[in-house]
Amino acid sequence: MTTLACWLIRAQFRSRRAATLLSMLAIALGVALGYAIHLINDAALADFSRAMRAVQGDPDALIAGRDSSGGVPLASINEIASDPAVLVVAPVIETRVRVGSTPLRLIGIDVFSAAAVMPGLLPRSAAGGAGGDILAGAVYASPALLDKLSLPIGATLTLMRGDQQWSTRIAGDLPATDQNDLLLVADIAWVQEHFGPTDAVSEGRIRLAPGIDAATWRATTAQLLPDGLLLRAPEDDSARAANFSRAYRVNLNVLALVALLTGAFLVFATQLTAVAQRSTQFALLGVLGLSPSLRLLQILCEALAIGAPGALFGVSLGYMLALAFTQLVGGDLGGGYFSSSTPAIVPRIAPALAFFALGCAASLAGAIYPAFLNRSQPLAQALQAGFAQIVEAGGVRRRGWLPPVLLALTAFVLSRLPPWYELPLAAYAAIALLLVVGITSAPLLTRNLFAWCAGRRLPAAQQIALQNVAQAPLMAQVAASGLIVSFALTASMVIMVSSFRTAVDHWLDQVLPAPLYLRSKATPLPQSLLDALMQADAPFARVERTAHTSLTLDPQHPAVALIVREIERGNPAARLPITGPLLAPPADRTPVVWISEPLREIYRIEAGQWLRLPLLGRTVEGFIGGVWRDYSRQFGALVISSDDYRQLGGDFHPTDLALWPLPGRDAAAWLAPYVASHGLELADAGDIRRSSLSIFDKSFAVTYALEAAAMLIGLFGLAVTLAAGVRLRARELAMLGALGFSRRMLSHAVMLEGALIAVVGLAIGLACGIAIGAILTHVVNPQAFHWRMPLQIPWAAVVCSALSTLGAAVVASHYAARRATRLPLARILASA
Amino acid sequence: MLTVSGLAKRHAKADRPLFSDLGFSVANGEIVALVGESGVGKSTLLNCIAGLETADRGSIHIGPRALDIVRLDEATRAALRARSIGFVFQAFHVLPTLTVAQNIAVPLLLCDVPVGEHGPRIRALLARVGLTGFGDRWPASLSGGELQRVAIARALVHQPLLILADEPTGNLDPRTADEVLALLLERVREQQASALIVTHSRHVARSCDRTLTLTPEGLR
Amino acid sequence: MRRRTFLLASLLLSTPVRAAAASVAYPPVRPGAGLVFPRDHGAHPAFRNEWWYVTGALDTPIADTGFQLTFFRSRPGTAEDLRSPLAASQILFAHAALTIPGDRLRHAERAARANLGASFSSADCDVSIGAWRIFRQADGPGELLRLQMQSPQFSYDFTLTPSQPLLLQGDGGYSRKGHSAQLASYYVSWPQLVVSGSLLHDGHRHPVGGRAWFDHEWSTALLGDGAVGWDWLGINLADGGALMAFRMRDAEGRTLFAHAAWRDNAGHLRQFDPASVEFAPLRHWTSPRSGALYPVEIEVRIGDRSLRTRPLLDDQELVTSQPLSVVYWEGLVRVEGGFRGRGYLEMTGYAGKLQW
Repeated sequence: MTTLACWLIRAQFRSRRAATLLSMLAIALGVALGYAIHLINDAALADFSRAMRAVQGDPDALIAGRDSSGGVPLASINEIASDPAVLVVAPVIETRVRVGSTPLRLIGIDVFSAAAVMPGLLPRSAAGGAGGDILAGAVYASPALLDKLSLPIGATLTLMRGDQQWSTRIAGDLPATDQNDLLLVADIAWVQEHFGPTDAVSEGRIRLAPGIDAATWRATTAQLLPDGLLLRAPEDDSARAANFSRAYRVNLNVLALVALLTGAFLVFATQLTAVAQRSTQFALLGVLGLSPSLRLLQILCEALAIGAPGALFGVSLGYMLALAFTQLVGGDLGGGYFSSSTPAIVPRIAPALAFFALGCAASLAGAIYPAFLNRSQPLAQALQAGFAQIVEAGGVRRRGWLPPVLLALTAFVLSRLPPWYELPLAAYAAIALLLVVGITSAPLLTRNLFAWCAGRRLPAAQQIALQNVAQAPLMAQVAASGLIVSFALTASMVIMVSSFRTAVDHWLDQVLPAPLYLRSKATPLPQSLLDALMQADAPFARVERTAHTSLTLDPQHPAVALIVREIERGNPAARLPITGPLLAPPADRTPVVWISEPLREIYRIEAGQWLRLPLLGRTVEGFIGGVWRDYSRQFGALVISSDDYRQLGGDFHPTDLALWPLPGRDAAAWLAPYVASHGLELADAGDIRRSSLSIFDKSFAVTYALEAAAMLIGLFGLAVTLAAGVRLRARELAMLGALGFSRRMLSHAVMLEGALIAVVGLAIGLACGIAIGAILTHVVNPQAFHWRMPLQIPWAAVVCSALSTLGAAVVASHYAARRATRLPLARILASA
Repeated sequence: MLTVSGLAKRHAKADRPLFSDLGFSVANGEIVALVGESGVGKSTLLNCIAGLETADRGSIHIGPRALDIVRLDEATRAALRARSIGFVFQAFHVLPTLTVAQNIAVPLLLCDVPVGEHGPRIRALLARVGLTGFGDRWPASLSGGELQRVAIARALVHQPLLILADEPTGNLDPRTADEVLALLLERVREQQASALIVTHSRHVARSCDRTLTLTPEGLR
Repeated sequence: MRRRTFLLASLLLSTPVRAAAASVAYPPVRPGAGLVFPRDHGAHPAFRNEWWYVTGALDTPIADTGFQLTFFRSRPGTAEDLRSPLAASQILFAHAALTIPGDRLRHAERAARANLGASFSSADCDVSIGAWRIFRQADGPGELLRLQMQSPQFSYDFTLTPSQPLLLQGDGGYSRKGHSAQLASYYVSWPQLVVSGSLLHDGHRHPVGGRAWFDHEWSTALLGDGAVGWDWLGINLADGGALMAFRMRDAEGRTLFAHAAWRDNAGHLRQFDPASVEFAPLRHWTSPRSGALYPVEIEVRIGDRSLRTRPLLDDQELVTSQPLSVVYWEGLVRVEGGFRGRGYLEMTGYAGKLQW
């Protein structure tokens, strides 16, 4: 039996090389994209976790302040250390410093405890002594940092943070760090001495005694801690690393799945036409004794014979894509979540097999309906009359408009549902349903449109061809469905991206009111500069200062940004793009905060409510005065006025300045010495705007690639189906030829048919695309990324891409038409 | 041998009986011609015997194991066809994507004959139908007569108990038709199979051992 | 006399740091300082080295079980100028061991800097690293010493009740370690402490009983006179007396300096000068780990009497790893001959030449 199956598969491949290869390629493309995205994300995530582990080690628990500007008091560290359940507490002080203009992480460790928890950070002295230098105030650099600074071991260097400086010597390296880690390690006391904080450390990493249940211990100990401290599991951090980019990764994978879905459509088209073409052959085999189940199996086997090599090729192509991408661009697919280092692509067997299986499954799924048709063919009739009967049996005409309408309603309901597991899964389901709606409504529209066209006064050949399609809409549906899916997705992405870009553009206008901006790369600005700015001769009409820190509101979520700004308590709208109602702050001096839209979505709080802030080592109740739009901090941000912050006892160390230069004064020249000596970043609003938009565009580059792939597959599908349709109607066309229609007329008829099918597909695709674009903009974006924006349909771009797709479809049907004109009419008629 | 008794079938579209209570048998080595006017149900009778259509009543037994094909499910009928019946069609129905030898091998594959035995059997049979050396040729390069010889070889290769032929010479010119018919009859007798040949041709009918005429009233 | 801390402190320091340390003004050890208790049970952070050292033999749950808990404090001379409370100017190490007859020696160790996991008191005996702790309790009817430590293999919480007064070694606590006057330490012993409390071993908690010996010693001196190691003994004698003896050795194994002190059961203290103390190896044991050859049975002549050591276990060699590897032998021995009792024998400098 296998021999027969192989003969038939080989024969099929031989006789339909182009269609088979295209189907294989489509499956390969889908698998390759999906697998490459998986590999790159996996590698970036692993790289991220590895880098985190190298620095953080592998503790059983971590203790840190909820407020990034605070720390863990020494007393708390020592109290935890004296718990018999605790083997060792490894405290660290981590701070950002710069050497020249290079910002880097300085980690102060305690060599006595670090070995047990963070072996990756242990220093190695060049002199051979095993760590004596570190206690005497030497520093140790990761090999990558030595490289970057072009400094040898033994060199002296000056570390700067704000106004503080520390000149020291590099006594050795950090052999266990990775090639990408830019780290400097010193003794914790020396770091504290020079950069603070006094009587506190940044974090304590805790190793528990063997046999102690870490979760139980954390739960009990957490209750004894002061308010401002947070005891968390290291898994929280890994989970957070995975969580915070999850929505983005799922989104990309959904797009890759779409490519695969279009591949499945192509297999469907190929196999359906294959079944139709060979209905007589299969009927003969059935008469000769091939059982119905084997006839079904044969079509599935053929699909697998397309899917398996396609998927295999896809997996290897995906691997190469991932490799090339990480080598050329880095590990970030445009989401901005990962560093742009080159993570190692490590293909593991299970995911590779899963993607291989996915490719096979896609092609099998595409072949199920054709295989079922093949099984249920009435042998005797098919042997005589061929496939025409089956088209009747397709039975699409009986159902009418009700199912599409019901499906569309379901999709609407799904799009109103809240996210599941913080993912817009219901919205994705709604999108899938909308595509189904598009496909199921295609035959209805096709029949009506073609019947209408056929009723017009048209040359006879066209009219007959049109009538034919109107009567047998199944093939037209097959041809159109690929286009519907691919164009709907492309149009929806164009709409979503355009809406987003317009919104970002508008937002940038609002958040960049000043002409000049000065940043200090996360270290405080030098006091000398701040003092000079206060002098009367400073060339600025206005200066607004801002400090950035972060707060952990919930250990399950990434820390939110705390922005301390010189902002008017009564008029935040002058500086913040407030989106909802703006509430008057309480008359007393209770602190007011304005939260960003992502923060509102993630923590489900509204303006007018009170927010408990873990600020300055205690819990502070803040009144939420309003919600503002923010596209740059996905995990949430809140703004508090510098007055309120000082009122609470906080130290306001500005890190950013917004500057309004006086007309006629050279502000840049005035700032230049500070910029040079303190490694500051000076940018005008236009630069920031341009670079922001360019980052935005870069982050959607992958999306565009996926769309292009989907469109290409859709067009392949159209060409293949049209060509197959022509062959299927060979007898009819031959008969028309015999009746006196010229080849040119036949060719025109086929091209017109293709163009009309494309018009139907594009029209439905556009309608679905707008609906899906609206879901992406109004549901997926807020649910997955907490970004809200108005819908903006870029009609010019959408119509242009529709027209160019139509053009491509006409070219594709030209290919089919050429087949029609090359048919050996006499022979076809003779064999009938 | 073939035994048909009490067979009844209603017309598929027009709601009237096509035939009712048909009964006949064909002995081993016997060749029976089935004649009758168009639309009288010859092809339907043939389809019922082949199990391609299901009779409303009656029974059809093929061979010594005497399975009633009317009462079998589709998969078992397919298996029975594969083992026990050989087909020759007016339109040849040779698979264009398989070579001559592969076409002839299809019934052997369907009967699970070991692949090693195929070569000699097919070569021997090709010689018997006068197509020595045609094994690796593609059907597209063969004439009508040659194609029907391939079809005859395919019908006989698995040594079926029953040969069903539907106008086997209908698409051939008279000379070729004679040759092919002679070949078919000779091979059927050689294998001691039963054969039922549907034909409009008196010449073909005369060449058979016996003639059954199907009329709206029944067999004559 | 336990000078392991010397080794640790010196190994910890690389050349530039030791140069810096040389400039640190450690106070000298002088005779006639007049120790005051409980103040002098506490730490003396100005001095370079200090240790609190408890060794003992348990009778229950298993007879002749040896235990040891030590805290070392070191002022290496680093980070002296830092204002940071985390400055590594005072570093503490702790070491615990348990010898069960017929079993192998088990041990555990800890290290931390003061204010960051470790702490000490300068007013009374109270020194800790994490939950490991030795401290004096005087709030009850009498004074007590408490020992607490935990490790995956064994943990204990012992109470030591004094049965005899303190024993000030040398000249009222001023104890010579060599012929030159700088080679000296302040040295206080407290023999014949009654042990009670509990031992957690192999998942079972056992009440214990036995006798222990407490040493507290602080100094500034490093090994001098070409010494590479020493042999030391501290024995609770069966008759209620107490005996301490040591000698400093040079690279050839010759005695550079020796001393012994014996307080008999009547409380009469006798000191022995270098000429009256003599160490003679009787039997050696070779460590399969380090290859070192230890004279586990030694004949010690003290004045007109002599004793022989019989180790409870030949293999009581210790290899510490935190923060650096130091190899030495320290374990429970019985003594026979002119003195009878149980106590600890420490032998250092046998596993290759000590690194300076």
